[in-house]
Amino acid sequence: MTATTHPATAPTGTAASALRGNRRRRRARSVLVTCALTVAVAALFVLTMMVGSFRIGAGEVVASVLHLSDNPSVDFVVRGLRLPTAATALTVGLALGASGTIFQQLLRNPLASPDFVGITSGAGFAAVTGIVLLQAGGLVVSGLALGGAVVAGLLMYVLAWRDGVTGYRFILIGIGASVFFDGLVGYVLSRARLFEARQAMHWLTGSVGQASGDELRLLCAALLVLLPVAVLLQRPLRALELGDDAARTLGTRPDLSRAGLLATAVVLVALAVAVAGPIVFVALVAGPIANRLLGPATGGIVPAALVGAALLLTADLVAVHLMPTPLPTGVVTGAVGAPYLLWLLATTNRQGAGG
Amino acid sequence: MRAWRPILAVTALSVVLAGCGGRSDTGETPAAADGPWSFTDGSGQVVKADKIPTRIIAHAGEAAALMSFGIKPVGIYSDEPVKTDPNLRNLDLTGIEILGEEWGKINVEKAAALRPDLIVGDWWPAEKAHSGMEEGVDAQSKKLAELAPVAGVTQGKSIVALAEGYEDLAESLGADVDKPEIAANKTRFEEAVTAFKAATAGKPGLTVAAMSPADDKMYVANPEYAPELLDLQSWGLKVINPGSPDPGFPYWENLSWENADKYQPDLILWDGRSFTPTANAEWGGKQPTWFKIKAAKAGAAVSWPAFWLHTYGDFAIELNKLTEAVKAADPNVGN
Amino acid sequence: MSATSRYATRTPARGGRRAIALGPGLAALGVLLAVVAFLSITMGSRSIGLSEVLRALGNLDTDGSITSTVTLELRVPRTLLGILVGAALGVAGAILQGVTRNPLADAGFMGINSGAAAFVVVAVTVLGVRGVGVYIWFAFAGAIAALALVYAIASLGREGATPVKLALAGAAVTAGLVSVTTGIVMTNVDALNELRFWQVGSLAGRYTPVLTGVAPFLLLGLAASLGFGRALNGLALGEDTARGLGQHVTRTRAAAFAVVALLAGAATAACGPIIFVGLVVPHLARLLCGPDYRWILPYSMVLAPIVLLLADVLGRVAAAPDELQVGVVLGVIGAPAFVAIVRYSRLSEV
Repeated sequence: MTATTHPATAPTGTAASALRGNRRRRRARSVLVTCALTVAVAALFVLTMMVGSFRIGAGEVVASVLHLSDNPSVDFVVRGLRLPTAATALTVGLALGASGTIFQQLLRNPLASPDFVGITSGAGFAAVTGIVLLQAGGLVVSGLALGGAVVAGLLMYVLAWRDGVTGYRFILIGIGASVFFDGLVGYVLSRARLFEARQAMHWLTGSVGQASGDELRLLCAALLVLLPVAVLLQRPLRALELGDDAARTLGTRPDLSRAGLLATAVVLVALAVAVAGPIVFVALVAGPIANRLLGPATGGIVPAALVGAALLLTADLVAVHLMPTPLPTGVVTGAVGAPYLLWLLATTNRQGAGG
Repeated sequence: MRAWRPILAVTALSVVLAGCGGRSDTGETPAAADGPWSFTDGSGQVVKADKIPTRIIAHAGEAAALMSFGIKPVGIYSDEPVKTDPNLRNLDLTGIEILGEEWGKINVEKAAALRPDLIVGDWWPAEKAHSGMEEGVDAQSKKLAELAPVAGVTQGKSIVALAEGYEDLAESLGADVDKPEIAANKTRFEEAVTAFKAATAGKPGLTVAAMSPADDKMYVANPEYAPELLDLQSWGLKVINPGSPDPGFPYWENLSWENADKYQPDLILWDGRSFTPTANAEWGGKQPTWFKIKAAKAGAAVSWPAFWLHTYGDFAIELNKLTEAVKAADPNVGN
Repeated sequence: MSATSRYATRTPARGGRRAIALGPGLAALGVLLAVVAFLSITMGSRSIGLSEVLRALGNLDTDGSITSTVTLELRVPRTLLGILVGAALGVAGAILQGVTRNPLADAGFMGINSGAAAFVVVAVTVLGVRGVGVYIWFAFAGAIAALALVYAIASLGREGATPVKLALAGAAVTAGLVSVTTGIVMTNVDALNELRFWQVGSLAGRYTPVLTGVAPFLLLGLAASLGFGRALNGLALGEDTARGLGQHVTRTRAAAFAVVALLAGAATAACGPIIFVGLVVPHLARLLCGPDYRWILPYSMVLAPIVLLLADVLGRVAAAPDELQVGVVLGVIGAPAFVAIVRYSRLSEV
């Protein structure tokens, strides 16, 4: 049972100079792709704030966001209404992208993203239970979602552990767990009526428009701390991909690094779910798309995070502005993500890694 | 992507704003544009303004209440499509911007473009919030309150009090509540109440229960949480108070179909949201125990306006239906 | 899949000896089921004296009194439906776990619930269908369509529908269908209400028409399922071994899925998504009778209705005069059972 999507990372039998040249080329491409993605995300971020019931020019948007202009009506629309939504899409996308690619690389499987293996479902179950049974709101819901994700992550890890964690066992158990959690969510919802039910349903549809300022600030703070941590852990992550023994030779402490990476990824995905509700597939596809762009320099956490942000901003644009009636963002990502998953299935199949 | 085209924002905005304003100014009440204006909100706070508000955004039922006094809002948001909202049926909504047709979602950008100077929504004491701005709605929806002061009447123990509250609000906004066609609603309502009281007085032994059958169980409404039922009780109708309402959701007592015959009223008040003239017969065929309620077997069921009334006019119509049903009911059907 | 060696060494050694005790065991469970069914008819959210119940049963026709109506028109069809649906879910779960060699397999896993929900919502919005008696057929069609789609997608490629591909295809189809359902429900209040009622998973409110509607499918599926014991034993040894034993792996798998579609589709259509029964009961059966599917299938068929009816009676008695949906009760007692299974069964061998 081998996961084969990552091309072999260790070049064999190459001369040292070629190796160096190779590495330089990879670094150059990585920097280039990261810069291009940053520009694209920034452009989408501004574009999101330009469209709506009426259009506002890019310059005006930027000026308003940076407090350079003083036009109360534009400021109300841009800073008061559109900036929170756009910022939510941006930060949630970054968090989902980073978290997804960390999971995928740790478990060495392109399918092992948190929304697939029950962690998102665990967070959603905890949040809905809080809304319905404890009449919770705001930051309490965020806290519960975080708790739910951590518990689900731990549960999955413990259940799947057998002399280490291999990808497919983790995925099978994860899918089982997410069906289980989704079932529980259904029952909790059926116990609720009217007020709590519509609040919980609303939360469950997964939309970047619903976050309050507190939750958003929490996610921003977490990103500011955890994205640099993730970048620092990038090296050990690459080493872990070669196997624990190889990682040890390269000077990495496998268990410590793995725990750190998992904690980072779980916290990021939990806060993203807390802010926007369950938005499927972004975490799953961000990593593979980034890898495709990066070519030989696969596995960058920052590019994957940027792809996640770009995807979510685009999905939100489509969901809110291109549909006849505005839809929750999660509906669009789900409708687009399902075919991608099927395609992934077909290609995994061709490579004979179907388990 | 047309949005990429550089647009002079200020121009665009002012055009849009002017456009919206011009369109919805028509049909506005000619109110004394002077102020100052103040109104005591359901939350107990006094809402003040320098001038009498004329550009009002209102939640569905509240909008219907204001419109019954001749105050036409510029924008409406509702919890369900305006086509199906019972508050808004038979109302001419042309020229009114629809800002939301789903709970939790209000298009505040559009609302801002309407330049409102007052937001009207019921005050819900239990949730400590106005309609549309409760816990759990989109963060954006709550920003509606930043556009203008919010005022509304408390949802509580009586529809009459609610209607009177909106009468006061409309009057403070410059409505001429004594205008014949407006006052006629209230007169009709008062006549309906008199007739209703006479009908109940004529049937002292008549008991009723407010029920809502569903596929898996049936629900008996608890009048303590249904203002219109409290009103009916105060006018002499003996609405049964269910003995053990659901502790988590005291609006109803839930009965399994095995216990459908627990209450034996002489007349069934049927949840108006699901009532049709053939409903009683249909449920009799579908649920073996429905006809174990003797009133159901006898066909004594009438639509009950559950949880939405806001206006004298609507209440008068519903009350007249109830009066007819009470007159026709046999007080010896149940126990 | 390296996990099968243990099955291979255990099955022949123990099978013969166990069979002696297994037959009477099954009969004992049958008696237990009869007792539980009797409880389900005599106990409920309305307290009716035993003698009145017996008199109603003796008359076999309602005399117009509420006790006889409740007994004959509510409790008897409900109990029969519970037995059939429980048996169907248990057997479907056992077959799925055998075919996919995934101890966590459940019909919900394969997109059945989301397919049924999507069809119910479309029926309500597009065709204006109302009432449980009508839309069960849409739910049935949706469940079968989703399962067929999942199986077709997973079968693409040379090696056919492997466990992992089935799980993935199930997840993908579920995600897509849920998106569609959510999109419709968000803009249609009626659809949301109908869906919420259907989604609970309950035996209440389903009477003779529903029972007679789905019973032929369930009985057919149950009868057909009993023939799969030997084939599933073969598959449990691994595909290559099964092929070596002369089995048509692909054909077996396809036939097994057809039976699962019939059983789980009709059960889900009639009662809404009921999880845990299909997941937990086959493991209970395996604990009792070992790894031989020729025994696991009948044991699941008897154990599952016992579990379902007990949960239903509990929900009816605990909340009288209200009642809890059986899905809610199973949700509460199923969570610890799920953890127990994961700990004690051979999950690590997936």
